Amino acid sequence: MSKKTTPKKNIFDNAGARSAFASLIAILGGFLVGFIVLVLLALFNENIDFFDAVDGFFRILAGPFSAGNKDNILFQLGNMLFNSTPLLLTGLSVAIAFKTGLFNIGAPGQYLMGAMGTLIVAHSIPTTVVPPAIVWIIALLTGILCGAIWGAIPGFFKGVLGVNEVIVCIMTNWIAANIVSWVFKDSVFINVAETKMNFIKKTSANGVSTATFGLDKFFSGSSQYSRSYMDISIFIAIIIAIVIFIILNKTTFGYELKACGYNKNASKYAGMNEKRNIILSMAIAGGLAACGAALWVLNGNQDFKWEVYQSLPSDGFNGIPVALLANSNPIGVVFSSIFLRYINVGGSNLAAQTDFNEYVSQLIIAIIIYFAGFSRYIQEAMIRLRAGRKNKEKEGK
Amino acid sequence: MGDIKNSEYVIEMRNITKVFPGIIANDDITLKLKRGEIHALLGENGAGKSTLMSVLFGLYQPEKGEILKDGEVIKINNPNDANKYGIGMVHQHFKLVDVFSVLDNIILGVEPTRFGFLTKKEARKRVLELSKEYGLNVDPDAMVENITVGMQQRTEILKMLYRNNEILIFDEPTAVLTPQEIDELMEIMRGLAKEGKSILFITHKLNEIMAVADRCSVLRKGKYIGTVDIKDTTKEELSNMMVGRDVKFVVDKEDAKPEDVVLEVKKLCVKSHTHKKNVVNNVSFKVRRGEIVSIAGIDGNGQSELVHAITGLERIDSGTVELVGDDVTHKSIRYKNTHGMSHVPEDRHKHGLVLDYSLEQNIVLQRYFDKEFQSHGFIKFDAVRKYAEDLIEQYDVRSGQGPVTMARSMSGGNQQKAIIAREFDREHDLLIAVQPTRGLDVGAIEYIHKQIVKSRDNGVGVLLVSFELDEVMNLADRILVMYEGEIVGELDPKKTNAQEIGLYMAGAIKNNKAEGDKTNE
Ligand SMILES: Nc1ncnc2c1ncn2[C@@H]1O[C@H](COP(=O)(O)OP(=O)(O)OP(=O)(O)O)[C@@H](O)[C@H]1O
Ligand SMILES: [Mg+2]
Repeated sequence: MSKKTTPKKNIFDNAGARSAFASLIAILGGFLVGFIVLVLLALFNENIDFFDAVDGFFRILAGPFSAGNKDNILFQLGNMLFNSTPLLLTGLSVAIAFKTGLFNIGAPGQYLMGAMGTLIVAHSIPTTVVPPAIVWIIALLTGILCGAIWGAIPGFFKGVLGVNEVIVCIMTNWIAANIVSWVFKDSVFINVAETKMNFIKKTSANGVSTATFGLDKFFSGSSQYSRSYMDISIFIAIIIAIVIFIILNKTTFGYELKACGYNKNASKYAGMNEKRNIILSMAIAGGLAACGAALWVLNGNQDFKWEVYQSLPSDGFNGIPVALLANSNPIGVVFSSIFLRYINVGGSNLAAQTDFNEYVSQLIIAIIIYFAGFSRYIQEAMIRLRAGRKNKEKEGK
Repeated sequence: MGDIKNSEYVIEMRNITKVFPGIIANDDITLKLKRGEIHALLGENGAGKSTLMSVLFGLYQPEKGEILKDGEVIKINNPNDANKYGIGMVHQHFKLVDVFSVLDNIILGVEPTRFGFLTKKEARKRVLELSKEYGLNVDPDAMVENITVGMQQRTEILKMLYRNNEILIFDEPTAVLTPQEIDELMEIMRGLAKEGKSILFITHKLNEIMAVADRCSVLRKGKYIGTVDIKDTTKEELSNMMVGRDVKFVVDKEDAKPEDVVLEVKKLCVKSHTHKKNVVNNVSFKVRRGEIVSIAGIDGNGQSELVHAITGLERIDSGTVELVGDDVTHKSIRYKNTHGMSHVPEDRHKHGLVLDYSLEQNIVLQRYFDKEFQSHGFIKFDAVRKYAEDLIEQYDVRSGQGPVTMARSMSGGNQQKAIIAREFDREHDLLIAVQPTRGLDVGAIEYIHKQIVKSRDNGVGVLLVSFELDEVMNLADRILVMYEGEIVGELDPKKTNAQEIGLYMAGAIKNNKAEGDKTNE
């Protein structure tokens, strides 16, 4: 040991840089395999040839930029950013749970409870009495609270009774789905329009919707009816991600949460309340997932399908790959969630414009996630390479 | 493998260099193992012993150097290769599957099958034969989680023998054993060597080296210092080679001047999780400022549970604990930590460290919320760094990257030193130290022992739990012997000897006082 080697500084000495690089490699690997799949598909389909496969691949890569004209591109970009919001927040939800040693597979249920709380409040407080902005805030906070409580339940079972959180999360997911369907069934919140009976009224019906500051107009197509959903919610979500990053990495609270996640026994030994921390972690995770739902419905132009007792919202589950790809780094989650949406948009463009179907983009995403699983291995390989190089440098001297 | 054993050495490791971020763990090390010898490997904490053995076992690839078996260069890419060449290893921290039986653990990876079905019958026969042949007493059907560390270790040894390994690596096998088990292990090792097995043996205990080893190689700070024949050397010479100076084995200390009581335990009982009896039964004692009270006893007689009950890691079923006159029986661990209690825990990986935290994060594990280290809930990273650097320097904690080194990557002994530094430096009136020198090198032990005596002289009350009689005799001002959850005797180290303590520890004698206490109930 002893002698300190002091070679040139290299960014791969930094763990954060290493993990970002590993994610990039995962993405590249995913694309590569995805491309091969496209070529294989082309081989077995008479309508498509190799060049179509190359073309299709670039359409996916281009995401919304494969939309054709400038208006369409802006329109798709706006929707992409808006639709990234719930994904970003459920990703954050799963990530913070991962960081504290928990697997939050309960995000779909927390998402549903959040949507329910928000919708009820947004429709029940008359905006003739209370200013819409205030109603918006109360509705958002109510949604977050509902999700937090819903997340705290598996946290309680895990922390106090030692029951595996995955099992409880799955149960609470279905309980949430049934509660939401039951609460809304025959309620006054259901859309009265003949064709929309499956949905809850848009919050804009009560004059409640997220501020857009003209973003919806900026991100819009030329024709009147194609105005995108873009509002400020993506920026709210990014700010939340930064706050979570700061909490996890700069505060004593985050220090405790992570310590409990890494080693429950040592945290107990150090005098931390490990049971409380587990419950808190799950409550925060639940609140984040719910916040994603709240911001989505508060957009004011979204139809929330209330009959969910048979299906859980996919954005809840998709938080898992988002967190995985970001290696559970809150800032990374911002990028990975937008990135996955970007690929999705590319995929639907591909389906709309060519003979490929949109499942190809899903497949590529799945492959990328699969590669992300190797992230640890890639990082270790980098460390090994680096150590070897340092040694050579030393010998050279 | 060829039958021409043309070399005197079964294994030669030549010019091995292994680099980790910020540190050269092995710097051009050459080690030669003779056939049928017990070869000890000695060196300070972090000297690179475990790393060198991991290279031989195929866990790490060296940047430079070659390995020869029977005079021929071989390439060991992974533990399977090592196994192929007959190399087996018992790691510093065991690698057994807790929920498997002993037999299953032994055959794991080389399960005998017929038509794809397990045929454990023959395996069992073979294991029983081996265990008889080498005196390795195990119960093949017991679950690993329920057996003693000693038996876990014998399981690890059987694992190697079952695979017909002939080069056996033991990484600090005795650190977790009781003195009795150590004697047994020494006997086993001698037997193995007689059967022609070649053994590499890492230990910090010079007595063990003197007792069983034929030769000893010494490493210091990643470098090879030399190899000596044990019959031509002494403990003093070995320790000198290892740390580069003379080491004292006996602590200088004056008579204790006990003052007021800092810890008073009254009729403490802790129920067992597995059986009906109390694991800690009606234990009462006091620790005063300025004295070292040591609890002696064979591992598993309730010492761990007693300490856990006092510190708050385990529930107390009845009885009281007073810390500096304050009844803390039902107080939180945080309260005790901030009201005068320091605790060096028995299990450094389970309780002592958050292995995925850096060294500096571990240094402030109980103090991150102090005014000194946070303001308005934000951690003062500069203050933490500065404090960690101070402690690292003061306690000579060695690691690759200083304060930012991940605790997991540190050598076992340096992990222990980090805990010691943290607990000794916190403000405290009572120091509870369980096996504080487990896994430390002689130089570090000398230092820690001095620190413990210094704490005592500064008015701290020390409760020392140790399974090592030497340490107890060396440090204690009073000895309490624990047997089956009860304190069976109080002894004065100056007036007693190892034999007498041994009798108490074995439950052969019990003090009247202890008996009297019991009937009070
Ligand atoms: N996986 C690793 N990554 C980074 N550094 C490591 C790793 N393993 C060991 N080291 C460093 O290499 C050095 C040698 O460690 P090693 O475990 O070989 O020491 P040791 O001689 O076995 O010490 P001890 O007696 O304390 O067990 C230490 O400074 C340690 O911090
Ligand atoms: Mg070691």
